[in-house]
Amino acid sequence: MSVQPSPGTDKVLAALEKGGFELGPERSLRRTMLDTFDGRLHGAGLRLELREAPGRELTLSGGGPAAAHVAVAAVPRVASDLPVGPVRLRLSPVLDVRALLPTVSVTTRQRVAVRRDKLGKALVSVTVHDGVAIADRTSSELVGLVVEVDELTGYAKAAESAQSLLETVGLRALDTDLMGFVAAAAGIDLRGHRASPTVVLDRREPSLEAFRRVLANLAGEIDANWEGTVDDVDPEFLHDLRVAVRRTRSVLAQGKGVLPVETRSSFRAGFGWLGGATGPARDLDVYVIEWDTYVGPLGADVATALEPLVRHVTQRRRDEHAALSALLRTARYHELIAAWHGWLASPVAEPDSRADAVRPIGKVAARRITKANDQLVARGRRIGPHTPAEELHELRKDAKKLRYLLECFGALLPAGERKSFVQRLKALQDNLGEHQDTEVHAVQLRAMSHDLHDAGDVGPDTLVAIGQLAGEFERRRAAARAEFAEHFAAYDTVATRRTFEALTESATRG
Amino acid sequence: MKILATYSIKGGVGKTTSAVNLAHSAALQGARVLVWDLDPQGAATFFFRVKPKLKGGSGRLVGAKGALAAHVRATDLPGLHLVPADFSLRHLDLHLDGRKRPTERLASLLDAVADNYDVAILDCPPSISLASESVFGAAHELLVPVVPTTLSSRTLGQLADFLEGGTGEGDPPGLLPYLSMVDRRKRLHRELGDSLRVEWPGLLATAIPSASVIERMGPERAAVATFAPSAPAARAFRDLWVEVAARLWA
Repeated sequence: MSVQPSPGTDKVLAALEKGGFELGPERSLRRTMLDTFDGRLHGAGLRLELREAPGRELTLSGGGPAAAHVAVAAVPRVASDLPVGPVRLRLSPVLDVRALLPTVSVTTRQRVAVRRDKLGKALVSVTVHDGVAIADRTSSELVGLVVEVDELTGYAKAAESAQSLLETVGLRALDTDLMGFVAAAAGIDLRGHRASPTVVLDRREPSLEAFRRVLANLAGEIDANWEGTVDDVDPEFLHDLRVAVRRTRSVLAQGKGVLPVETRSSFRAGFGWLGGATGPARDLDVYVIEWDTYVGPLGADVATALEPLVRHVTQRRRDEHAALSALLRTARYHELIAAWHGWLASPVAEPDSRADAVRPIGKVAARRITKANDQLVARGRRIGPHTPAEELHELRKDAKKLRYLLECFGALLPAGERKSFVQRLKALQDNLGEHQDTEVHAVQLRAMSHDLHDAGDVGPDTLVAIGQLAGEFERRRAAARAEFAEHFAAYDTVATRRTFEALTESATRG
Repeated sequence: MKILATYSIKGGVGKTTSAVNLAHSAALQGARVLVWDLDPQGAATFFFRVKPKLKGGSGRLVGAKGALAAHVRATDLPGLHLVPADFSLRHLDLHLDGRKRPTERLASLLDAVADNYDVAILDCPPSISLASESVFGAAHELLVPVVPTTLSSRTLGQLADFLEGGTGEGDPPGLLPYLSMVDRRKRLHRELGDSLRVEWPGLLATAIPSASVIERMGPERAAVATFAPSAPAARAFRDLWVEVAARLWA
């Protein structure tokens, strides 16, 4: 691609015509790049572009020399909005539940110039963009002239000669295309929102400072996901906001002796309230996301009979999200977040020199991680075949607490050992998650079946199907419970202990 | 990547026009398509206006160091690429015969570009030969145009029997027969079409008409939809692709 300043559009078009190119008519076009909030398509090496002029066409490039093109009636928001076929098949696993959002949008007046051989076959195509502007912005034209050379597979020489021709009229080559150039000029990071609970830490730095940096990073995550949660753009916004809140609560809980008593206690209460408020909407999100895996094994007839339940779940999900959106707009929420940012940004009073606040974070974090793991192991060993389910739920909390510590203070730990240890922990967490989720869903299912029954719009087939679904939940719950001992035994091994010791020992060194 | 081949033992039944028009429809519906012209006559190559030239000939293409990607040419329709044919393909059987596993060679060449395309359509010459067997070893489905004549059912039966007998390693390709060059004005065509549907329940629902607009592909050197998008034949090819795509990505 080439960019002004030297020549004008007329000079470029004249040079192309003289060079044997046929000029097409001028037309106005809007081009919009679509990606998820976290840049999943960019990360997968794909580029999805919507071209409106005035019909709509999607272009999916990346992953080979040929780009896919498909007409669409409406702008797709999620994978299921895409036309059935290969584009949807390729994008669905990448997008998963995430929504497509515009990342950069431009308007352009363009003319396409094509050079053909004597058979009339196109050898190279050059698009001359005049008046490129970022759409929906008040700023005027971003650049006067942008020229794109479209190299056709198998005709590299023709593209090279077009490039040379353009250079003779004073254009200079760039190593990106129009959309990449505009995104860079507008300061848009095509990698999308990048989040990690792990921040850079020095194991010798005072714990208070380290805790504050970890918490500030999490506060940024809450802010980043607020708008998408309020607008219910896709379920990942709420998930990520909720996880950031839980991590915040976990780090606050571990901040005894590090964080000021009053601050810790008041924000633990505040984030406890927020965490609780996000639960019902997330539970229903999981219900909707997992619906096909729940119902699939029961067959098509049961799935059809469950349609009234699907409508009910969808409506309840909508209601819970509306309630959550309202809550996230309340003064209580904004005051909590403002006060939190205020504390994170303000200097704190000199802490008591005997408290952990001034001790090196490496030692303090290692001690807390060890304590969390000890608690997990001790509780897990007490669980037998007849232990009440509540103990498994408590164990799941222990595991989450440990996982959050490993993630938030991960910079203090050696990456290899951490990865290996987290893999072992994750296997246990997956089992505990399956056990609790199926139990929660069974409880919700009972409540919803009562709602449906009371509303009087449920037939016998649906009631029978609900019974079958409840049976499926119970089967999965029982299976997870039966497998628990095996999963815990796999976690509670000499190898895990050795990995764990290597992990924490490294944090305390130096 | 799904691999289709337009194939028939008989010549002049609409294989190449089907390959070109189905590829066109597929690309317009979001597939990245590779057409591989395996017929030394190079009719598909002609319709796409691509020079009929395989650098090094078919011997180098199927040789030990051969690679399909080096021969791929973009057509004028975005998303639709072509491996052109030239006259050296008349020796394809000979070149394949010199290899250790001749019936697996086309599959291995296609495998190297499998991530680049959603569909490959192989346009085959008529007859049953070693090259055809290599096509059967590569293709997931054979698109078989069936002209409503008295011998068509027998020819289709011969092909089905041959595939049933085994094509070397792996499963044989599926058969997707469809009526081609149908003239609804002819009573014989209507009657034979109806009896073929009874005899071959797997026959696709769409029938490609015998139409002068398809013959115009020669002078126009393009798929029907590019110069006569609303012609019944263009619609038929679109419908046929929709049917085929439903099988591929159900």
